[in-house]
Amino acid sequence: MNATIIDPLQGDFPEVIEEYLEHGIMKCIAFNRRGTLLAAGCSDGSCVIWDFETRGIAKELRDKDCVAAITSVCWSKSGRHILISAADKSLNLWDVMKGDKIYRTTLQQTPLQARLHPGGGSPESTLCLVCPFSSAPMIVNLQTETTTTLPISFSGGTTTATTGAPPRNKFSDGSAHYTPTAACFNKHGDLVYVGNSIGEILIIDHNKNLVRGVVAVSGGAVIKNIVFSRDGRHLLINSSDRTIRVYENLLPLKDSLKSLNEMIFDNTLDEGEIVKSAGVKSLLLFREFQDSITRVHWKAPCFSGDGEWVVGGSASKGEHKIYIWDRAGHLVKILEGPKEALMDLAWHPVHPMVVSVSLTGLVYIWAKDYTENWSAFAPDFKELEENEEYVEREDEFDLMPETEKVKDLETNEDDEVDITTVEKDSAFSDSDLSQEELRFLPADPFPDVSEQQEKHTASNSKLGDSKNSDSPLSEETGAMNHDSSQIEGMENSGGEDGGMTYLKRRRKPSEKVLELQAQKVRKPLPKAKGGLGKSSKTKSRIGNGIGIEQEQDMNNFGDEFGIDD
Amino acid sequence: MGSNSNTNTVQPPPQYAPYRLVKTLTAHQSAVSCVKFSNSGKLLASASLDKSLILWNAENLTLISRLNGHTEGVSDLAWSSDSHYICSASDDKTLRIWDARAAECVKTLRGHTDFVFCVNFSVHSNLIVSGSFDETIRVWDVKTGKTNHVIRAHSLPVTSVHFNRDGSLIVSGSHDGSCKIWDTATGTCLKTLIDDKVPAVSFTKFSPNGKFILVATLDDNLKLWNYSTGKFLKMYTGHVNKKYCITPTFSVTNGKYIVSGSEDHCVYIWDLQGKNLLQKLEGHTDTVISVNCHPTENMIASAGLLGDRTIRIWVQPS
Repeated sequence: MNATIIDPLQGDFPEVIEEYLEHGIMKCIAFNRRGTLLAAGCSDGSCVIWDFETRGIAKELRDKDCVAAITSVCWSKSGRHILISAADKSLNLWDVMKGDKIYRTTLQQTPLQARLHPGGGSPESTLCLVCPFSSAPMIVNLQTETTTTLPISFSGGTTTATTGAPPRNKFSDGSAHYTPTAACFNKHGDLVYVGNSIGEILIIDHNKNLVRGVVAVSGGAVIKNIVFSRDGRHLLINSSDRTIRVYENLLPLKDSLKSLNEMIFDNTLDEGEIVKSAGVKSLLLFREFQDSITRVHWKAPCFSGDGEWVVGGSASKGEHKIYIWDRAGHLVKILEGPKEALMDLAWHPVHPMVVSVSLTGLVYIWAKDYTENWSAFAPDFKELEENEEYVEREDEFDLMPETEKVKDLETNEDDEVDITTVEKDSAFSDSDLSQEELRFLPADPFPDVSEQQEKHTASNSKLGDSKNSDSPLSEETGAMNHDSSQIEGMENSGGEDGGMTYLKRRRKPSEKVLELQAQKVRKPLPKAKGGLGKSSKTKSRIGNGIGIEQEQDMNNFGDEFGIDD
Repeated sequence: MGSNSNTNTVQPPPQYAPYRLVKTLTAHQSAVSCVKFSNSGKLLASASLDKSLILWNAENLTLISRLNGHTEGVSDLAWSSDSHYICSASDDKTLRIWDARAAECVKTLRGHTDFVFCVNFSVHSNLIVSGSFDETIRVWDVKTGKTNHVIRAHSLPVTSVHFNRDGSLIVSGSHDGSCKIWDTATGTCLKTLIDDKVPAVSFTKFSPNGKFILVATLDDNLKLWNYSTGKFLKMYTGHVNKKYCITPTFSVTNGKYIVSGSEDHCVYIWDLQGKNLLQKLEGHTDTVISVNCHPTENMIASAGLLGDRTIRIWVQPS
């Protein structure tokens, strides 16, 4: 909505850590479609949903069934459901609003990644695509608990679903050993793209379980990740040859399967040739990204929300680096985080922001380093990209310049204004949701303790029905209240905001980041030996005591303001 | 049709039916500073310098409950989108979040160092923005009650703050004569719409679709601005506004009007497009500081200062 007054000269990719989120040990993250909520799967089996606007916890999905580390989280298109895969081999589908689990299925293998079917037009699909630790990707129907194993290689005319271990596999003695295989749905979910361990991209009709196209990636290295851009026009694969490749999707976005089938039928070649030629007609290599000097193994590569940038993480030697390329293939930025290996990465769907998960379980939010735009403070200022020769107007210093009068009349006061019509967000113009999208979770204030004392019982019961009373969160809520009320006195005296004053007219990192930086100075490697991030609990508030020197010399404007006097 | 410069006078909607007084609510002991309908349209809340807020049933116009707790007068109030919570701004330097159903305070927001003068919720009601005589704007996290941003926004008291439709922008007005637009996420200034020393900007508000800003200045002017071009589009005059921060509003339930109180004790209703005065509601016996329109019905609530202390409900017969 603010696009009309945003300075177009500023770059569109993140530059600095703006804030970090801390709650347990987070392992993997996913934004909802609008980027208003961020889901994070934790090592204790819970899933925290962060309100990305307030950067506070909006909800916690947790129950006694799920105590194993979460391996992936995925939002449904409407944002009402979240699919969580966990190390206890389970798949869980949650209702986000209610905080209830809808389905739970236990698989034979640990799912490394699970993706919900993008839905297309159906209300809320219960199909999901699962990439297990050591078997072929499978389609799981959560409702019927049926699974279909997808083929992971294509040899001649026969698709091999359960036999024929990939030749690169060390254990070539049996069919039980697979390297993890990457897979993803296309935009509308009628096709699955599988990247296998011999460096082929298979395009699969998952309904018929047939390979419809094959693309051989040069080099034939194991494909580790495969993701589509949000608009579905580009496909990114990450291979063990340390190269990220971006392919252009040549198939139409709608009815991809149909047009792929048409390609196959008007062909007289044998099936192997057909499938290969269909592959060639479906994907076109567009760009390759690599760091030829450090030869980084990329982690969690993805596109930016608008598809303009490609981003890849590096965790080699425990580092936390994020590489950003433009689509032309130029490296534009390397973001260097704290010395905590990068685990996961996500680009915000609409804003130039990246969030990354570190080995210690913190989530870092990377944003643009906003420099104050001086022209924002003067109504008539315009920022120029370069110097311009100023041509003085003929009547510039006349007492009554003619042109000024004309300028004042530029807007016709009788033009109709429309104060109610809202334009559809162009970034989400493809909305074909049959169900209303869940964008926000209600923010109920945690009651102050002091206020509760009077009506303790009454307010407790009310808290119950306004919130998820059956979740363990409500108990924690009480505990948090105690904490916050004890420090409230100090915080509210203004010290809390020491890092957030805008004296210097430059964006400052939030208090939490300042704290982090202070920690880094004290101990260069605060968490390197601390096991899995237990030391990240240090949440001391160094902000206290900085305070804002609030000038209290203000005159009493009560007279002019009337009612305040 | 409006772009045709030949038709200099846009005719008022012919079917304009005048508003009539249906009820006068007298329960506040001092000046009523603000009156607002809930989004559900079922409740009406009023704030007063008598330190209390009152919740009214908007259907039968009876008093439901009184919210006591502030230790000084209350200047402004705002409803959460789900009509569950009210946030009030007081001269006791705090804001309070009230549970409207239970009629009790759930949270006190402390941080401002002077009178808190104006408050609003974001559309998802996860954020609150407040403006104060300490010249800052604060953005609060509703859930935790913590300050997300302190914006040193102005060089004199902040008279109004308002979120746009998606909550990405905040508009503020100040006694320093400026009207600025802020990025909610970062707290940075995106644009200065007006930067004059005088007159003071007494009120600012986004239009329902977030494309325009209604600005009141203490020189009897009410203007509608296009903030992306930085040009004003419409001016509404005739009322008296030199002293108080009168809070006008948009009426969209039956035709499009601008409604404002006035220091001549009247409520003014203009045609949004034609800018002509459609009606002047008489009855209050002091400055009408606050007006608010019912979200779905053709109903206006107006509130008077110390000499009046009443809330008057006006309806347009259908």
